[in-house]
Amino acid sequence: MDYEVRVEGLDFSYGSKSILKDINLSMKTGSFISIIGPNGSGKSTFLRNLSRYLKPQKGIIMLGNDDIRKLSQKEISKKVSVVPQNILMEFDYKVKDMVLMGRYPYVKRMKGETAEDIKIAERSMKYTNTLEFSNRHFSELSGGEKQRVILAQALAQQPRVLLMDEPISHLDLQYQVEILDLVKKMTLEEGLTSIAVLHDLNMASAYSDYIIMLKEGKVFCKGEPKEVLTVENIAQTFNTNVSISKNPITGKPYVYPISTISKKKRNFRVHIICGGGTGVKLIQELAASGFDISTGVLNIGDSDWAISKEYELDVAEETPFMDISQQAYDKNLELALAAKALVLLPIYFSRANIKNIKLLMDDRLDDKTIYILENGSFAQRDYTNGEAMSIYNMLIEKPNVIQIKEGQLKEILVKADEKDE
Amino acid sequence: MNKKNIKRFISINLLILFFAICFFISVGIGAVDIPLGEIVKIIFLGENTDNRVILMDIRLPRVLIAAVLGAGLSAVGGVMQGIFKNPLVDSYTLGMSSGAAFGAVISIVTGIGVFGYATTGTFAFLGAVSTLFFVYYLSKTKNRVSINSLLLSGVAVSYFLSSVISFMMMLFNNKIEHIVFWTMGSLSSSTWQKFIFSTCLVIPGVLLLNFFARELNIMSLGEESAHYIGVDVERLKYMLLAICSLIVGAVVSTGGTIGFLGLVAPHIVRLIWGSDYRRLIPYSAIIGASILMLSDTLGRVIIQPAEIPVGVMTSVLGGPFFVFLLRKQKSKGA
Repeated sequence: MDYEVRVEGLDFSYGSKSILKDINLSMKTGSFISIIGPNGSGKSTFLRNLSRYLKPQKGIIMLGNDDIRKLSQKEISKKVSVVPQNILMEFDYKVKDMVLMGRYPYVKRMKGETAEDIKIAERSMKYTNTLEFSNRHFSELSGGEKQRVILAQALAQQPRVLLMDEPISHLDLQYQVEILDLVKKMTLEEGLTSIAVLHDLNMASAYSDYIIMLKEGKVFCKGEPKEVLTVENIAQTFNTNVSISKNPITGKPYVYPISTISKKKRNFRVHIICGGGTGVKLIQELAASGFDISTGVLNIGDSDWAISKEYELDVAEETPFMDISQQAYDKNLELALAAKALVLLPIYFSRANIKNIKLLMDDRLDDKTIYILENGSFAQRDYTNGEAMSIYNMLIEKPNVIQIKEGQLKEILVKADEKDE
Repeated sequence: MNKKNIKRFISINLLILFFAICFFISVGIGAVDIPLGEIVKIIFLGENTDNRVILMDIRLPRVLIAAVLGAGLSAVGGVMQGIFKNPLVDSYTLGMSSGAAFGAVISIVTGIGVFGYATTGTFAFLGAVSTLFFVYYLSKTKNRVSINSLLLSGVAVSYFLSSVISFMMMLFNNKIEHIVFWTMGSLSSSTWQKFIFSTCLVIPGVLLLNFFARELNIMSLGEESAHYIGVDVERLKYMLLAICSLIVGAVVSTGGTIGFLGLVAPHIVRLIWGSDYRRLIPYSAIIGASILMLSDTLGRVIIQPAEIPVGVMTSVLGGPFFVFLLRKQKSKGA
């Protein structure tokens, strides 16, 4: 495997304050890598170690086959470019002059910039779409244009590694996308290894090949976005509850933060009978409101099953395409008995899962409120030749059964919980 | 020649023309006015006319010293603004000028100065260098020198030295005239010897500064970014400050402390030609030389037969410009 950047046993501390502890990483050539983690987790410090702005107390950093301790600053600058959050210029320069500054490590003092240097600077400007305003002054540009100029300057260094410290956090959304698109393109076409500290987890998810998650100066986990961006990992590093779904366009994880205002834990358990994705929204909603949730019976691999696992819920589960076994049924009943309220979502019924509705007829559940979420006619969801339908008809006659419409449930349950207290 | 080179060619010629005009005005005007034709005859044709002695022994060395000192102060001011990424910096801000004046005053009050101009000059230089290193040492934390702490310690040390100088003026009031010369800045005792001494230090110093123009441009990106592009920032600061204190020492020991010029001249260049240090240093030097020649001449002629010290003149002229810069920066929202 071709690794551009390798870090072994890296320790860094400011005085006696230890910032980075035993970092070991390998970063593949031509990949876009994001570093995420809460404030103070050592992201920027790590980047500054990679660029040798800071010198680690222990450990080795290899750029390709070179140990960076053995390289001069100019030699490092030929291999590594750094893009900061933004650049504040006290004195103004023309765009082309700023891009040409990126050629500094190659320029000989006596000779000055050669035609070759100017050609490379022009190519960098063309690549970043800054050539058209190369004669304008930096201070006249918009935030996005400025950042593109900085990227052109970085590119003029002809680096193999591009380090970025929150390159988009000062920009409006359209520029954030523009800059990351450009970096991604550079990464793929020029075979760069791009390493970015990003604040926005969803941007990190959308653009990264790999994500490194830091917590308190250590690598908490690393891998592809879907391996790193999980409810559990984010809860442990950022101390924040989030809900995660798939971005419908990219298929990458999409992180929704959950407000802590509603984080109050309720002593109220809801058992949800769902399947086929009917439960995703409700589980997220109720979990966010602090309800204790269980689900069943769900086929392993079903999207409701997946989200239940992500939220670490109690689940009664069954192998896909199999009829619900006695064992799964018993587990489902056990969970239902433990709950204060039961919810039946508008799922399709077949021979395989008919036990899910039969369960609700159990006498032992008579003291619990059963909410049936209605969505269109039940008959259309019945593939059991009317057997499920007849159970359904008996069920809705029961005094403890309440039929509700979509969207009402959370409010009703919150009221029920408050009345309970 | 392309368009850019033509523009540069015109700029340089205009600057030289401006310098020449200032030079001839300064040489020609005074207690005795010498017409242009006579000046040319004396200097370039070596003719012996009535005003030869006044011109060659009194006026010419004084005007040339003004030019050299103006060039040195302005180049140093521009470079220091670049190092510290701050438009309100000059050789005063880091205490270099006060340090040089302090060194000179010491040599005067202890009587070492009686050995002549060279000793006072040496003391001024030592004062500038040691103040700079002291300020640098004060602001150094964890092997890095932050610009803010450098400026703050510079201003603090500068005030401290100024008050020590005032105190000495009180104690040694028999030498007050000498000391005032240093603190106000004056070119009234210019000699060819002083001209040679200051030229030998200032002009090579300015040329040397020019050598680092490319690095100074990159420093405008900020120290960290400059580091990433491959500039050895700490070494650069160290070397530039050493050259600057050499120039300031030579300037102060020749003409005392002359304020505001080093601040203003680089900004005039920036307003007209932009910030590129490859032009900024030489152009500032020429503009600064011209302004100092004119200021000194004004000081000589305004209240004849008395003289206004040149340091007072530059402050009177430069002060309003400084306020203008401050306001401009405020409106920039900085």
